[in-house]
This record gives sequence, C-alpha cells and structure tokens, in this order.
Amino acid sequence: MKKIRRFSIYYMFLLTLIFTVVVTAVYEIHVDRIEVNEKIKLQKIILQVLDVPVPEGAEDREVLDIFNKRVKSKDVEGNTIYIATSENGESVEGYAIGLQGPGFWGPVYGMMGISPQLDRVLGIAFYKHSETPGLGGRITEFWFIDQFKGKKIGDIQGEQKPFFRLKSPGTAKASNEVDAITGATGTSRAVERLINKDLRRSLPLLAQLR
Amino acid sequence: MAKLTSQAIIIKGLWTDNPVFRQILGICSALAVTNLMVNTLIMGLSLIFVTALSNVTVSILRNITPTRIRMMVQTLIIASYVIIVDILLKAYLPDISEALGAYVGLIITNCIIMGRCEAFARQNSVWPSFVDGIASGVGYALVLLAVAFFRETAGFGSVFGLPVIPSEWTRWTIMVMPPGAFFMLGVIIWVVRSIGDKELKKDETTS
Repeated sequence: MKKIRRFSIYYMFLLTLIFTVVVTAVYEIHVDRIEVNEKIKLQKIILQVLDVPVPEGAEDREVLDIFNKRVKSKDVEGNTIYIATSENGESVEGYAIGLQGPGFWGPVYGMMGISPQLDRVLGIAFYKHSETPGLGGRITEFWFIDQFKGKKIGDIQGEQKPFFRLKSPGTAKASNEVDAITGATGTSRAVERLINKDLRRSLPLLAQLR
Repeated sequence: MAKLTSQAIIIKGLWTDNPVFRQILGICSALAVTNLMVNTLIMGLSLIFVTALSNVTVSILRNITPTRIRMMVQTLIIASYVIIVDILLKAYLPDISEALGAYVGLIITNCIIMGRCEAFARQNSVWPSFVDGIASGVGYALVLLAVAFFRETAGFGSVFGLPVIPSEWTRWTIMVMPPGAFFMLGVIIWVVRSIGDKELKKDETTS
C-alpha cells in the first residue's frame, strides 16, 4: 500500500509540473498580444466616456491613432488624468478620471468623462469587474451608464453629501439620482460609493489642471 | 464490452447519447451563451477542443494513473486545456472572450468533459477516445447552435450578426434572457425525444 501511495504523490507532482509548464509557456508566448488588446480596450473606453467619436468596427490601429491625436495623459499627484483636446488641439474638451473601488464580489474598474467646466458628466463606463452576470454585471449595460450622461455635478465640496445616489428603479427624482439595478443592491451600493469617492478625490486635482 | 466503431461512437455522441438532450449535461452554458450565434459557435468549438484533447490525454495515461487519484488527474488535465483556450481567446478574439466572460472558465466544470473522461477515455484507447470527445463536443455544439438560432432571430432579428428580420417586427426580448433559453431548450428536448422515442419503439417492435 505504501508503495502505491508514494507513487501517487510523485505521479501527481510530476503531472502538475508538466501541465503547469505547458500552460505557462502558452501564456508567455501570448502575453504581449494580450497586453496590447487590454490597452486598446482601455483606450476605447476612455474615448467613449470623453464622447470622442470612434467609427463603428474601427481597427486597433485606427483606435490608437484617434487616441494619440485627441487624448493626452497627465499625472497629477499619482493619479493619471486623460485630457481630451479638440481636433485642432487648441481647446480642452473634457477630462477622464479613473473609477476604482471594491464591488460586491471584487474590485470594479471604470472611467468617467467630465466636461471642461467640471460641471457635467460626459459619460461613464466600466471595463473590469467580478460582479454577478445578469445582476451586478449589468453595470456595463447601456441603459445604466447612459443615465449618467449629461448629469450635473453638484458643487458640494466640504459637505458629506454624495455627488450621485443610486435609488430603487423608478424612485430616482432629484437631478443627482439615478436608477440602481434591481436584485443587485450590493453592487449598486458599492458602485455608488466608488463613484462618489473618486469624484471627491479627482475634482480638486482637475481644478488644478485648468 | 464490444469494441465500438468510429461511426457508432459518432452516432452515440450526436444523437443516441447526446450530452445535452439525452444526458442533460452542460445545461448551464447552454442557457448562458446561446443568446448570440457567434458566441455559441466559439463556445462549442472551445468545448470540442477541450473534450477531445482531455479524452486523448486521459486515454494515454489510463494505464499508469492510480485509480484513487484519477479524478484529480482528470481535473488537472481539463483545467489546463481550458486555461490554454482562455489565453488563446484573450489573445486572438478579445471581444468574444469578453462576451463569453466567465463561461470560458466554467468549461472546466462542464459535466460533459469529466463525464466522457470517466465513462469512456479511462477504458478505451487513444483514437476512439479522440473520436468520442469530438462526437460529444459536436453533439453539444449542434444543440446549442439550434437554441441560439431561435434565440438570436427572435430576440435580435439577426443570424450571426446579419439582420434577417425586418426591424418593423417586434423583438421578443425574453428570448435574449435566460427564461427564453429555458423555454427553447425545453422545446428542443421535447421535439428530439418525441422523434427519438418513436425510433426506439419501432426498433423494439421489429427486433
């Protein structure tokens, strides 16, 4: 019996080693390509929230060109801010800030576009999360993020009032309220928290840039 | 146990022992990814790839794998192939990888693959195991494509993204959501079992 058990252990160890090496090799071969894909995806999101038009079905090369032409990134106190400039590069057309915070299951990552006067939301989008598909995962759906488009950002520095509130669908009344997601209370509360936190943190930094 | 010909294996995987409508396996992904045909196609191809290769690997190792740890070994093999598929999708088809999301990883938990490894690949040689993996995978993929065909045409009015139904016709949005998949799958199981059971009854009376 002992002999068989020892063989099982060696066998399992060796097999795991072989497969781990193979999987790692496949990953290493493709890691650069995957990173380029991630970069293009982020650039598409940033262009989207800044309301910079990208043609339907644009190739990666085209997205890269539009991004490099219309968007500059700047580092302010450790935060990366993306600045959208007009076609001729003369005027600023918006700022994009990162949204990041704990969701219900895991970290949620998004971007928010803000108007040059810092008074309106140009758009938001979420590009990475681990929320429940069909429930919390609906934060990526058009109807949800479209609610924020054009919303006024209140001037509430110094107070603890939130910039935006997520309310039960159908009960959102005030100009700073939007519909939460039915059946996804945890995700809705988490997203509300992180949007407010990042706005509170980023608005003073954007004011410095203007 | 009589040795099965390749043809017999294929017929079993596609019809008589179809994993979805006979064995009722792999239902989770059948409901989740079938709202669009292109997603279903990639999911089906991924599953065929993983099932075939897992079957082959389990078959190659069948005589030296200690029986007590065979399930750990099968899980290791299946998980490795699924991760490789996930990496390849992320690298070459990033949009589809995102659309499929967690469901690619969930192929590891798909009972069809483990089922074939346990029931077939463990006791059979490499080539029949390979054929069985392909047949079961194709059986799964065809059923899912059938479900997806109805869900996409009724819910989006398109087939593989190409619009086929004029936009004046009201879309059945429920078909895009899981309940629509449940109904569609139920109807398909009902139809094929009615045809299949009729065949069985005929065989019983003639033999």
